[in-house]
Amino acid sequence: MKKKTGAAIAKIFGMLANQWRTETALSSSLTDVVTHAAYQRIIGLGRPAVPLILAELAVQPDHWGWALEALTGENPVDDEDAGRLDRIQAAWLEWGHTKGLV
Amino acid sequence: MLEAMFPGLAVGNYAITSAKTPTYNCIAWAAGDLTRWWWPVRSPLAYWPAGVPCEVTLDAFIAAFATLGYAPCNVGGALESGVEKVALYADRLGTPTHAARQLPTGAWTSKLGRLEDIRHTPEGLDGDQYGVVACVLRRDRPAAPIAP
Repeated sequence: MKKKTGAAIAKIFGMLANQWRTETALSSSLTDVVTHAAYQRIIGLGRPAVPLILAELAVQPDHWGWALEALTGENPVDDEDAGRLDRIQAAWLEWGHTKGLV
Repeated sequence: MLEAMFPGLAVGNYAITSAKTPTYNCIAWAAGDLTRWWWPVRSPLAYWPAGVPCEVTLDAFIAAFATLGYAPCNVGGALESGVEKVALYADRLGTPTHAARQLPTGAWTSKLGRLEDIRHTPEGLDGDQYGVVACVLRRDRPAAPIAP
């Protein structure tokens, strides 16, 4: 199987991220948002997607925590910050900074 | 785009009343919380009131709003003096999808997912996206806070 290049992964990620944002924009269901097919395909891109997701988070908060936890096996978010997308964003960007990914 | 997703908005009065933001969803907005995403999942990615069943059912959503003093209303969405109302929407399977809050004018306000807040008529959001109003909740309007 031909391995995707970083540029190819970034292009696929961009397309999937746009599709995900568009098709889940009206939903309040976190379940629906993170189980959307495009979101799942982003997780399927594997670890190369992590810096791409962090770059998205650096622009604005969004529901990327589920994907990041699935991809990294880590969760830097405090339980007391449940539902606080701004704090979830900050926690993951701090995590990414310590890993040299941001 | 909104009128394409919600045909009822095309014929009723509606207005966009905020910028787009993913910070809070419709449940949070109806609950008066602009800081969190409310949804019944066992995850720090969403908020759900402590002690309320973590399930996507009308009963659980009614219980969630009960923590704020709301209870099922017998007179529907009619405007009542001194009363705040929240409408819970559900799809054809009865699964909760959306919540709207009544304004003092009698119009309703909703946060549309990760998009804007809008002011709309009660029937404006009926349709395939959110279903229809399944339950209306009420509480006495809280007394205004004492100015410092």
